[in-house]
Amino acid sequence: MEALRNALDFSDFPRIDLIVAGVVATFLVAFPLTPHSSFAMATMIQFLMFSLYGMGWNTIGGYGGQVDLGKAQYLGIGAFTTAVMLIRWDIPFWVSMPIGVALAVAWSFIIGYPLFRLTGHYFAIATIATSLVLKDIFEVWDFVGAARGLEISPIKYSPPDFLRLIFKEDIYYYYIILGFFFLGILYVNWFRKSRLGFQLRAIKDNEAVAQSLGINVHWAKIKTYAIATAFVSLVGSFHACYIKNIEPEDTMSLDLSILIALMAMLGGAGSLWGPIIGAGVLIPLKSYLKEWLGAKAGLVGMDLILYSLIIMVVSAAEPRGIWGIVEKIRRRKQA
Amino acid sequence: MALLEVHNLTKDFDGLRANDDISFTLDQGELVGLIGPNGAGKTTLFNCISGLHPVTSGRIVFDGQEITHLKPYEVARRGLGRTFQVYVASGDLTVEENVMVGCFMRTRSRTLANVRAREILADLKLSDLAGYLVSELPVSAQKRVTMATALGSDPKLLLLDEVAAGLNPSEIEEIMTIIKHIHDDLGVTVMLIEHVMELVMKVSHRVIVLDYGQKIAEGEPATVAKDPLVIKAYLGERYVREHGEKFK
Repeated sequence: MEALRNALDFSDFPRIDLIVAGVVATFLVAFPLTPHSSFAMATMIQFLMFSLYGMGWNTIGGYGGQVDLGKAQYLGIGAFTTAVMLIRWDIPFWVSMPIGVALAVAWSFIIGYPLFRLTGHYFAIATIATSLVLKDIFEVWDFVGAARGLEISPIKYSPPDFLRLIFKEDIYYYYIILGFFFLGILYVNWFRKSRLGFQLRAIKDNEAVAQSLGINVHWAKIKTYAIATAFVSLVGSFHACYIKNIEPEDTMSLDLSILIALMAMLGGAGSLWGPIIGAGVLIPLKSYLKEWLGAKAGLVGMDLILYSLIIMVVSAAEPRGIWGIVEKIRRRKQA
Repeated sequence: MALLEVHNLTKDFDGLRANDDISFTLDQGELVGLIGPNGAGKTTLFNCISGLHPVTSGRIVFDGQEITHLKPYEVARRGLGRTFQVYVASGDLTVEENVMVGCFMRTRSRTLANVRAREILADLKLSDLAGYLVSELPVSAQKRVTMATALGSDPKLLLLDEVAAGLNPSEIEEIMTIIKHIHDDLGVTVMLIEHVMELVMKVSHRVIVLDYGQKIAEGEPATVAKDPLVIKAYLGERYVREHGEKFK
């Protein structure tokens, strides 16, 4: 009960935050009812998905300070579990998604146990390595479609299919991912106030001190890594049903892992709103720039340069990202 | 009753013997000072006792149970708390949250941890600082916060590592009051490493002196202060030779 109360309790935020959050939430709920292009809809769905990836990353990477650059491997496990189960055995999303989460979490334990013996950059590099190895395995593994990947053919089903998450119109996908988005916020809101959340923040501060306060540092990291993994794998399963055509090359790429981490850092690692802000800035920017520049030959890749620049400028101003800047200004006003 | 027993503890770092065959016991309810020149092995001894360094040889018994090879967090959970000399806070946690981390060792509930943290802060007269980030505070306040945090875990024995270093006389006075309060009123057994002699000699029931990793003296503060070995360790051989008659 206390956990539920903590999840629903946002009273430690200033009133202005809650008003802004309320306005944004209302907009998100109302968005599909307003006139919009299908491109805008697709961008909004991407925004919600990346917000969730970022929230997951933020638990271990932000609150715990363990920079993880291998989140795409869990996205892949979720996506391929759901796709394989649907295509081969017609198992619906609501069954395959938890199985995917379980498999991803199991994998996170296997690699997290040795990896969390490493610290700092070594940990970050190791997460890249395991993610690439898993991607390579998927690329030669026929059972999961190898390099060709898998395609969920919508013709076989009669949309709207709420069990298998097969829809013709994006609006269904939008509201489902929006539901997960709100649940994700509640979960992280609980997490940051839970014992594990406090322990993780203490670990980020100083591991020796954390240990002297009875915290099993290694285990706390592994547990949190599992939480982060669950977020990413869940959205990965959704991704399979939404995109319908998945290949290891794009669902498990290093680009994706880095994008997830960068977005959360840009918005503000270690804060509840940070990953959402990061996704809100980068995802529209990325997709509109790609659309706009993609048409002009010779300018392909300019979008990447531009958003790298933004990240550099923001992180030079404040290492804790956009949210860090907001908090800095607030503290200055108070003083 | 002996709360902590250290038997023949030795700690080597790649050929450097930082602690050499040290033995001592602490009784329940004592307040003991650990002194010695820089590099004598005091902090290493604390690190060995709290499980941060694996010991080379020797045994450590706490509250009747052997803790020699336990991990630091297991030692902490048995009721052996400590503070650190250099406390680097990245600045993410407020004072109250810091103390709550300590309290979370004994409870899962955020509400209980919060209530307990507020009690401790009020008790140590730190309530006014509750909302500040630790990194925003002056050193003297940071030191008091580290003690409050350690108290959050409700220790039977508290090891304090140089809590008065770098403080001015009035701040040292405050720290001394807090140490006495923790010991006298809260009933916590305390062992403190300290270079500030006014403090350690005044509050300690007993003092243990280390030099070059060895225990060279142990006893009441007044007696230890007159011990030629201790004076030699602090002031050098020549001083003892020239002023030796004073100590006879």
